[in-house]
This record gives sequence, structure tokens and C-alpha cells, in this order.
Amino acid sequence: MMVFQKAIPRRTFLRGAGTALALPLLDSMFPAFASPAQTASLMATRVSFLAVPNGIIMDRWTPGAAGKGFPLTPVLEPLAAFRDRTVVLSGLANNEARKLEFEIAGDHPRACSAYLTATHPRMTSGADIHCGVSVDQVAAKELGRRTQLASLEIGLETPMVGACESAYSCVYYNTLSWSNAATPLPMENRPRAVFERLVGDSTDPAARAARLRENRSILDLVSEDLKRLMRSVGETDRLKLDQYSDAVRSVEQQIQLAERQSPKELPDMPKPIGIPDTFSDYAKLMLDLQVLAFQGDMTRVATFMVGHEMGGRAYPELGFGDQHHSLTHHQGDKAKIEKVLQINIFHAKLYQHFLERMRSIPEGDGTLLDRSLLVYGSPLSDGNMHLYKDLPVLLVGGAATGIQGDRHVQYPENTPIANLYLTLLDRLGIHLESFGDSTGRLDL
Amino acid sequence: MQQRRTTLLVWIVVLLTTAGSLVPSENPSMKAAGPQSTSAARSPSPSPHRATLDKFCVTCHNAKLRAAGLLLDSVDLAHPEANAAVWEKVLHKLRAREMPPAGVPHPDNATYESLASDLETALDAAAAARPNPGRPAAYRLSRFQYANATRDLLALEIDAASLLPADDSGYGFDNIGDVLTVSPVLLEKYLSAAATISRLAVGDSALAPTATEFQVPPATVQTERESRDLPIGSRGGIAVRHHFPLDAEYVVKVRLQRGKDATTIVGMTEPRELDIRLDGRRLKLFTVGGRNEASASSARGEPDDGLEVRIPVRAGSHLVAATFLKDTVKPEGVLDTSGEQAFFEGVGSVSIAGPYAATGPGDTAPRRKIFVCRPQRSADEETCATTIITTLARRAYRRPIAREEIPSLMTPYRSARTTGGFEDGIRLAVQRILVSPNFLFRVEVDPPRAASGSAYRVSDIELASRLSLFLWSSSPDEELLGLAERGRLKDPVVLRRQVARMIADPRSNTLVSNFAGQWLYLRNIEAVLPDPTAFPDFDENLRAALAKETAMFLESVLREDRSLLDLLRADYTFLNERLARHYGIPGIHGTEFRRVTLTNEERKGLLGKGSVLTVTSYPNRTSPTLRGKFILENLLGSPPPPPPPNVPSLKEDKDMSQLTMRQRLDLHQASPVCSSCHSRMDPLGFALESFDGLGRWRTGVDSSGTLPDGTTIDGPVGLRKMLLAREEQFVMTATERLLTYALGRGVEPFDMPAVRRIVRDAAPSEYRWSSLIVGIVNSVPFQMRRAR
Repeated sequence: MMVFQKAIPRRTFLRGAGTALALPLLDSMFPAFASPAQTASLMATRVSFLAVPNGIIMDRWTPGAAGKGFPLTPVLEPLAAFRDRTVVLSGLANNEARKLEFEIAGDHPRACSAYLTATHPRMTSGADIHCGVSVDQVAAKELGRRTQLASLEIGLETPMVGACESAYSCVYYNTLSWSNAATPLPMENRPRAVFERLVGDSTDPAARAARLRENRSILDLVSEDLKRLMRSVGETDRLKLDQYSDAVRSVEQQIQLAERQSPKELPDMPKPIGIPDTFSDYAKLMLDLQVLAFQGDMTRVATFMVGHEMGGRAYPELGFGDQHHSLTHHQGDKAKIEKVLQINIFHAKLYQHFLERMRSIPEGDGTLLDRSLLVYGSPLSDGNMHLYKDLPVLLVGGAATGIQGDRHVQYPENTPIANLYLTLLDRLGIHLESFGDSTGRLDL
Repeated sequence: MQQRRTTLLVWIVVLLTTAGSLVPSENPSMKAAGPQSTSAARSPSPSPHRATLDKFCVTCHNAKLRAAGLLLDSVDLAHPEANAAVWEKVLHKLRAREMPPAGVPHPDNATYESLASDLETALDAAAAARPNPGRPAAYRLSRFQYANATRDLLALEIDAASLLPADDSGYGFDNIGDVLTVSPVLLEKYLSAAATISRLAVGDSALAPTATEFQVPPATVQTERESRDLPIGSRGGIAVRHHFPLDAEYVVKVRLQRGKDATTIVGMTEPRELDIRLDGRRLKLFTVGGRNEASASSARGEPDDGLEVRIPVRAGSHLVAATFLKDTVKPEGVLDTSGEQAFFEGVGSVSIAGPYAATGPGDTAPRRKIFVCRPQRSADEETCATTIITTLARRAYRRPIAREEIPSLMTPYRSARTTGGFEDGIRLAVQRILVSPNFLFRVEVDPPRAASGSAYRVSDIELASRLSLFLWSSSPDEELLGLAERGRLKDPVVLRRQVARMIADPRSNTLVSNFAGQWLYLRNIEAVLPDPTAFPDFDENLRAALAKETAMFLESVLREDRSLLDLLRADYTFLNERLARHYGIPGIHGTEFRRVTLTNEERKGLLGKGSVLTVTSYPNRTSPTLRGKFILENLLGSPPPPPPPNVPSLKEDKDMSQLTMRQRLDLHQASPVCSSCHSRMDPLGFALESFDGLGRWRTGVDSSGTLPDGTTIDGPVGLRKMLLAREEQFVMTATERLLTYALGRGVEPFDMPAVRRIVRDAAPSEYRWSSLIVGIVNSVPFQMRRAR
């Protein structure tokens, strides 16, 4: 058995192997159920990306100076309790979102499409949508082998359909996650659907087990049906049936994994009925579901889209009804800037809720947070000017991930955010040569 | 016969050609597929055509220049069937007069015709002698077909969009076998959809409460009674049909519409009466707004927090309505032309939550459909369950159930029966059927002795599924399946009668919603977002009216079995007040639609419909290019190639904004790269420039254009004349589209003889819908399959 010690400099690990993905992940690198005290302790096992739309008021986000013990700014204030685990990363840029010479409009959809893919999305309103695999999906391909769901994608808005901005398909607004260049993954916005996907009808272990058993027995019968059908049709006709067989096998595997995990104690969470009336209840419920998924080890990769770029959501809870996107085009108007700031802080408070939940749930010797890499940011920095550089990004790294917190790091201007992704993937035991427009690793 | 002559005569005049080559086949039955009807003996004499090719085509299409990879210098003209795909391409270009290109010498019409018709004759004869029907592989039901099939199987309407992911499209349709793939995620969804559907259908007492929300789009003006499902004397609101799965209590909750800030409830200053009804019976009348309400509401959150009723409802489908009583209060939602769309006061959404405190499954349509027998004592249970389950499986699998399949169908019943009741067993059996590949896939099997590569007629059972998927987007019903099982569909009289019956059935409306909706991009009307600055008058009522007008128009053409050409020229449409106002047609009052004879020439036919004109525009302006492309692609079947890579779009920068649309598009003509395609698209679109981006008439706009061949078209009337003069090209295009939809696959060159045949046979009836549909049903690709 190969044992990779934490001391292996991962950034040089298997460099020059010639392929993007150097090696399949080895089990020994990935102590899923081991205690944090074991050899590979400086290793993260789960990752989440959360993006807020339309940028942030940057001078209320960025701590003044780089270095340890950064001063808290108004937007970062809600995360004060997690400062020891937080690194604020300045200078990163969403370079691939930049407009090409011939492109028309589309600043917002380019921003969110390029954000996790570090790839320039093709301007099209038609079927030939094209971007790139997103970092969460790279992680999911490896980390997802051991879990019931490879990844979980959650959004808080109803997907847009039809024609969006004249030249851009709505797909580019609706998601952050791409499983490959042509396959955007939908962000689920219905709490009930997320819940059902995770546990079925109930968090009760007996009910979950019964449902899994039911599905397994149905899939057994489906396999029989498939075998009989395959015998009767010619080889060339089998393509779709083969796809179905593959799907059956893969879902059966998921069920096996879920069955192994279903005795795990889950909090008694009722099945959501609809979408809560207030945004904060809605967001917290969805974040709780994300925590539930981590807690039950149902997935190790989660992506959370707080809102659509250019989204028109208003936040009446804050006492005003202006739409977020229109406010961000404040053109220097102080009152509008103040309102955007309120929204920025409001979002950070929701993240605070998420972090608190992560830290309140025990796992092994510590908490769920310990092995987690959690990235908070926005695909734009300045929503007024549509700037893609100097993005607001912060990383919360659990105690077992080897990330030193309480720091503000200033990278050179226009450092591709893809460099961060490469570095994070290293920590997850996934070593790529390059990703998107990356130019190297981050000194983290 | 007289009619056929007349049609032909028109053709002859148009094409300045001789009649001999255009005589339609005299044998409309399937027998033409046999070798006896071959007219290959009349094969074209090569010499004059070779000379034509050498003179007009070979200059570019030769082994040296290889234009479009087409080598007409070496290809064998005596045996076009040997290179059918190449010649079909050539034929298309000849028929559309697209080749030779503008600016080089052209053959005269007689030469065009004689070459084209001789090629057709030879290709058709060869195809008749050796039919190639194609070989469709196993085909997964689309989401839409899945929903219809479960509806017909279980008498349960489901919202497929909430249960299954959307399907990809190919060839412009979302029922194309090649792109209907299967993934683990889809299977996950099938599993959970089957669980949900079977629970709802059987009425599982363990059903967890859910909430379903139905929204009224914010930009809906709610001043008039909107539908017959809403009470007389009401205004605005919404009426929804909802399946209540159990005898139980349910909560109906209404949210009021917010203003454009998404927060303020408009129209709270005066008291208004909100009426919530179930099946027309009033559940509760709320008073909202007014001074008292306003002051009280500030104390306890949102003013519409308490607008809900909890009521016991019997299981089954019910109509829930929420609306305001008509009052004299002036609407407060005044259009704000300054920027973002104003919203209007009224009902925002209705949600139905439940079941709570269920008392039983009740007596519902799905239960009546499922429980065809009831066990009187426990000894009967097994027999009754077998009857129920095999009855459902036969309908779901669209074929008889073999004896050896029964144990596997009964397994879920038996396992669930050991721990639960009889109905639990049935529920699990239903769930299992809905995930079976026998339900989800249409699979066709070669007969045992079919020679490899030979064409054979598909079995009656397989034909029944092809028919029902084509005409209903669903499974065969009892009558059709029964006839197929008895082998009766082979009989052309029986088949024809079934097709007529199926067209007359309301389920054939999928030909409008699904086929025409995708062919003509009409589905997109649901998603367009007109720019409020450019179109401040746009509201949701207009969107709904635009969609409904065209749907009703298409349905009338289908139901009245009109000519396909009426799509272009019909002098009637369907209007309500909102739409009539949009079109500037006086004297139409109220929200109900009625048939109206059009006196205005410009409005006639599809190209005068606001829906078509809107979906072919940008959100803030018209696009002659998009409209021209739409016409070329969908009406004339000559799509321009996609723009070459690295061709910049016209830049929307400052100096451009000073130019008029026409000046900007004239830039296309200036660049040779652009003009090769835009010279075909833009002039067609220019003819529609008098319709704005929402299809409203505007004056003072130059609506003339010149086609590459020098023909000038001015305005919609001129465009219509031009299209009607090319009726065969239009009908061919429509037929190819309909055949694509019918077969669930792209139309290949080897299908073209079948397409021509359908068109020829439909000509005598002036291309009535029924003649095209019957033509497709009788065609080689629809009736036959190639053996492996």
C-alpha cells in the first residue's frame, strides 16, 4: 500500500506527467472515515463554493493591509467568529469573463460562467453552448466516487428560460457548475427536491433504509427487463439500452453507498413543504440541507448560487425594496451604495449561519468544519463597473486542512482565480497540471 | 381530378415547364414500394444533362476546385441512385434555384425542370425498387411523451417539468431518438417520479404534505374576467386544476401581487374583495386593503399573511380559483415608461398545501382506472392483483404481456403485500412498471427471418406505437392497441379509419402544441423578455394573447382539415380585446377570443401573427436577419449555413447607433463574407419591417428588399405572394418537418423519395393536413424498417 505523507510537496506532485489529471485518486490519500489524527491529517475531504451575485462594495470588503491579524471590515464582520480559520484572498481575477472584441453585452453571464470554470463561455443563444468543466466538478469526479451523490448544486432562484441577454443562452445565467464543456448542471432551487435527493421522504434511518431497499428491488427487476430486451434487439439498437444499463449500475452503486451510510445518525429534519416566504429562511434552509448532505457524507462537494447574476431579487427584510442588480449600478450614489452594502452584509450573515452549523456538528474528534475547504466569493468585484479583477474571495479552511487562518493575502494583480482552484484541488488530493487559465499554484 | 389539374396548371405556369414530368403517382397505396411500379426503364438519357452540368456546374464543382466537396465532373449521371445523397443535395439546390449562384450564367427554367425531374424520376424509381426505410434504434420517451403516457395510463395529470429534466432537441424537435439519452441523474429522477406518481394515483395514505404554487406573472393586468373558469363578475386572478390525492384537509393560500420593487402591494388604499373558490363554490371572501386593513397590517407583517383557508376536500381533480370581485376602483398599476416594467395589483399566486389529517383515498379517476377489480376476500387478492397489474402493464408497455413476464411484474406487489396492504402492493407494482425499460423505451425488433439489410413492414403492435407517438405524443389507447393485437392495422381501410379517429381526438392537439410549436418557434413566446424601454406597452396579457391566437389558428387549420397553404394565406384569425388593440383592429371587446375575418391583407397568414413576429425579433428591436433566417429555414427549407468562425457581429458601438437598421444591414452587403448569406436572409426580413418587434403595425418604414436573383419584394403581401409562388418548396419543407417529428429522427437523403411521394399525393387535395398525415403514415419510413 502506498502511503503519501503530508510532507510531499503537492504542487510538484507528478508534474509533467503530460495529462491534465495525473493519477486517479488513491484511497490511501483519502482518509474518509479516518480520524483527523492519522497520517494524512493535513488533508481536506470536502469542499464547497458559494457565490453571491453582482459583486460587492469592495472598499467595505477588503481589509486594509495584507498580513496576519487583518482588521475586520463591515462585510467581513459577520464572520468574525471564524477569523482564525479565514484567509482573505485579494488580487485574484476572473480573467476569462472578460469581453472579447466581437462580443455584445453579456458581462454578467460571462462572469458566473467563467467563475468556477476559468474558461471563457461561448457567446451563443443556441444549442451550441460551450464553457468548461468547473472546479467543483473536477473535485466531484474524484471525491464523488465514495458518496451517494457526486456533488450537490443548490441555487436560490428559479431557472430562467428562453432568451436572456440577446446573445447569451439562459444556461449561462442559471449555473456555476459544468460537468464538461457542453453540460451545465442545473442548480436545484426547491428545498423539497434537495431533501428528497438526499434522504427521500424522511431523515428517519428506518424510513430511509426502507426506501433504498424499495429502489434497489425495483432496479433488480429493471435489470431483468433490460436483459430480456437486450436479447431480443440487435446489437446496433442497444446503444440507448446500454446507457440505461449503465445508469442502473451507477444508481445501484449510489444506493449501496447510501445504505452503508443510512444508519448514520442524522438530525431529525422535517421534509420541506415549499419555499419559505422570507429570503433568509429560504437561504438558511438550503444551507442547512447542504450541511445535512455533508453531515451524512452523502456528498463531499457542494456548490451554492445565492442569486443569478443580473438577478432582480429585492430584499424586503432589509427594509427596502430595490432590486439588487439595479442598485449595484449605483453610479456613485451614496444611498444606493449603502443599500448594496446592506445586501453584502446580509449575505455574509447567511454564510455565518452556515459556518456555525458546520462547526456545531461533531465529526470524528472535531467538527464538520475541520476537514472542509469553504470558498466564499463573487464572480464580479465591482458590480457598477463590471470589473473582473480583484475579486472578493475568502477561504475558510478547517483545522485539519493545513490552512493557516487569520490572514489577508495580497496576490499580484490579475492572478487567475484558477490558481486558487489548482491549490485547493491539491489539498483535496487531486493534482492537475493546469486548470482553465491557470498560470501556477498560489502560495497559500 | 379537376382540382389536381388546376393545381398542376398553376405549377406549370409558375415553372414554365411541361406537364409530363410532374404527373403525380397514380398509385397512392403502399404497393408502390414494391419493385413492380418501377419506372427505371425511363431512366434519363445522360447526354443533354451532362452538357447542362458541364456548362453550368462543373466550372466550380470539379476535381480540382472541389467546391463544397462536390465533384460533378466525374459523377455518373446515368445512375444517380448510386450517389443518391449527392444528387438529393443537387436537386435541392436546383429546385430552390440556389445554384448556380447569382452573377454567373443560369440554365433556363425548362432546363432546370427537365434535369430536376429526370433526377427525381430516377431516384424515386430506384427507391421504390429498393426501399430504404432507415433503422430507428431503441427510442426513449421524451418528457412530454412520458407525461402524456402516464396521464393516459393512470388518468392522472402530472407536472412533468417538476419531476423530470428537460430533454435536448435535435433537428428542431425534442422528440429525436438520437439525442434522447439516459444518464444516472435521469434514472434517479425516473425512480422518484415513479414513486410520486404511483403514490398520487393510488392515494397512498402515507403521502407527505406538499405545497404547489401557481403564479400569476407580475406584469399581468388584472382588470377583467380572465377565463370561463373564473366567476362572472370577477377580475384577474387565476384558476388552476389541481389533483387532491386524498380525502383530507388542504390549505389554499393567496399571495397578492407585488409592485415592481417586489415588496409593496399595489392597490391597498381602497378595500377590495378577494374571492377564493373550489369548483365554483365560494370558500371564503376576504376584504383586503382599505384604511383599517392598512393600519392593522403594519402591526403584523405582510398584509396578505392571513389570506388562506383550510378546508376538507374530497380526493380528485378540482378547480381552485382566486380572484377579485369586480369593483370600480381604478387600477393603480400605471405603466411606468421610465425603465423597468411596472407591475399591476391583483392576485400574485395561489398555493395549495396538503394533504393534512387525511381520512382516506376517496374515489378518484386514477383509482377507478387502476382498481379494475376488488378482492372480496383475501383468497381473491392474488388473482385480482394479477388482473390489475397485467392490465396496466399491457397499456404501459404498449403490447400484450407474455405469461413469463407476470412473475416479475408481481414481485413488487408480493413484497409490499407482506408488510403492507393490498393497495401498497399495487402501488409498488405501478412504481416498478413506470421505471421499466418496456415503458420508457420504444423498442422495435427485427422479425426472425428478415434478410440482413432488407426492408420489412413493422408489426401492427409497433405501428400502433409509432402512430400514437406521432399523433398523440402518447401511448395507443385501448381501441388502437386492440386492433393491433388482432393484426387489423395491416388493413389499409382500418388504418385510415384509425388515423381519422386519432386526428379527431383532442389528444391530436399535440400536433399544434408540440409539432407546430417547435417548428415555428412558437414555444419561445413563453420566454421572450421584451425590453420595457422599447416596448413599454407589453404586458403578460399580451404574451398570453399572442400565444393563444396562434394556437387557436393552428388548431383550426388542423381541425377543419384545411390546406397547409392556409398557414400562409388564411384570411381569419382569433382575437380578444387586448390583441385586437395591439393589431389596431376595432370593435373587439372582452377577454374572450373569437374568430375574426381579416380585412387587412398584411395580417393574413402566419407571417401576420404577432407571436411569429415576436419570436423572430430581439428584445428591443426587429431583426430582418432573424426573420429572414426563420423564413428560409422553416418555410423554404433552405437554411443559410451558420456564420463562419471569426466573423464579428455588427458592432453595437457609438457610430453604429447613428445608423438606421437598414444602413447597418447594408454593411452586410458591402462585405462579401457577409453578403453571401445575408443577401438571402435580409431582404425577406425587410419585407416584414412594417411589423415592430412585437408584431405591431408601424408606418413610414421601408419594407422593400431585393433577392439575389433580382426579384423585389415589398411588404408582407409581396412576401406572401412570393412564398405562395413557391408553394411546393414550402410544402416540401413542412412535410420534411412533419416527417422528422413523426419519425423522431432527422430526414435523410434516402427519405426524399418518400417526401416527394407524400407531397405529390397530397397535391390533389391542395395539401390538406389529413392528406399529409395519411401520406406520412403510409410512407416507407413510417411503415417499414431496415433489418440489421
